[in-house]
Amino acid sequence: MALLITDDCINCTVCEPECPNSAISAGDDRYVIDADKCTECVGHFDESQCIDVCPVDCIIVDPARTESPEQLQDKYEKLMAA
Amino acid sequence: MFNESAVINIVSEAPAGVPDCLTKKDFESNQDVRWCPGCGDYAVLAQVQKLLPTLGIARENFAFISGIGCSSRFPYYMETYGMHSIHGRAPAIASGLKLARPDLSVWVVTGDGDALAIGGNHFVHAMRRNVDLKILLLNNRIYGLTKGQYSPTSEMGKKTKTTPMGSIDRPFNPLALALGAGATFVARALDTDLAHLQSVLARAAQHKGTAFVEIYQNCIVFNDGAYDKLTDKATRADARVLLEHGKPMVFGKDRNRGIVMRGMQAEAVTIGENGITEADLLVHDETADNSALAFFLSQFEGPDFPVPLGVFRAVETPTYQDRAACQAAEARIAKGQGELDDLLGSGDTWTIE
Repeated sequence: MALLITDDCINCTVCEPECPNSAISAGDDRYVIDADKCTECVGHFDESQCIDVCPVDCIIVDPARTESPEQLQDKYEKLMAA
Repeated sequence: MFNESAVINIVSEAPAGVPDCLTKKDFESNQDVRWCPGCGDYAVLAQVQKLLPTLGIARENFAFISGIGCSSRFPYYMETYGMHSIHGRAPAIASGLKLARPDLSVWVVTGDGDALAIGGNHFVHAMRRNVDLKILLLNNRIYGLTKGQYSPTSEMGKKTKTTPMGSIDRPFNPLALALGAGATFVARALDTDLAHLQSVLARAAQHKGTAFVEIYQNCIVFNDGAYDKLTDKATRADARVLLEHGKPMVFGKDRNRGIVMRGMQAEAVTIGENGITEADLLVHDETADNSALAFFLSQFEGPDFPVPLGVFRAVETPTYQDRAACQAAEARIAKGQGELDDLLGSGDTWTIE
């Protein structure tokens, strides 16, 4: 599963530089995660870095993007190869 | 007195069409925002940038004036006119601007140190004069820019770099101070409750006179968690009460807690216990004849009472710039347009030989 930033986001920028996949960017109203680039930090860290640093706990698992750990690992390897 | 470099973000282009066409992006400057990642200031900036295009005011008619501090970097990030001015003196400069250009929408962005320590004098006089300014006080209860010394709103006992054994200073209550100085619009909001913050800012923008908004804002580096009880989803419903004009003060996650007045004492009660019904609860009145209720509410703090958020007081009285314009018009009628040189050479004069 990829991660999703909810509308509780205060645009504080703390998550953007933490993302090892550069999947996070500033959107119109709040920061957004590119689901095609988000591996939930699989391949990089044990925990999702953005969830770890978010001061308002506004980052959740995207219910519309269900991916298994294997799929995330696969996504990670493809991103690294690109 | 000011060098040119202090005047920033000059909007050199023609107005971007009619104000209705403006969007949040039109109010975002090209400057990199240099607050710490995680800072609550970002939330306030985004909500202000979101609000301004809805006000029907041309972009070149906004001015943001600040003093010194983290929050005072605000004007750099607004694509409006603005001035990053003198420590604590933003209300004075903004008052002068509003008097000279009453057509402008003038905003002051300040912090607990800028407004209440070095700028305490200017703050209270802005409140009593009722100049048509919007004053946003970003209160993180710490000196952030100078890396973590206690501020005039730091709570007693707080350990900081300058209070290693804990602060022995009694903190200012900014709302009580503003009300005591005669403020006509007083409100409080939280950096993390964006919809509520937006609604409070919109109310402030509509107010004719000095509109004072205290925004509880988290400093993630030097005072992280200062408002955790108010922002944490598990505790916030019981820790705060949202003020709504004309409505009883109900709070709590089950919406079964309330405030009653017993004589001159407030009490937090549970609806349904001891015969208490919603009809017994204190009803909020922003426009009361005097500021007693608002002052009462400003004293509420945890854990005994929920912290009130929203508009405490909003009353209309003539603004300073309206009174000044009226007096100037009367003087012109009585004495004509006048000449400055004549005035300076009038009265008792001396020639030194």
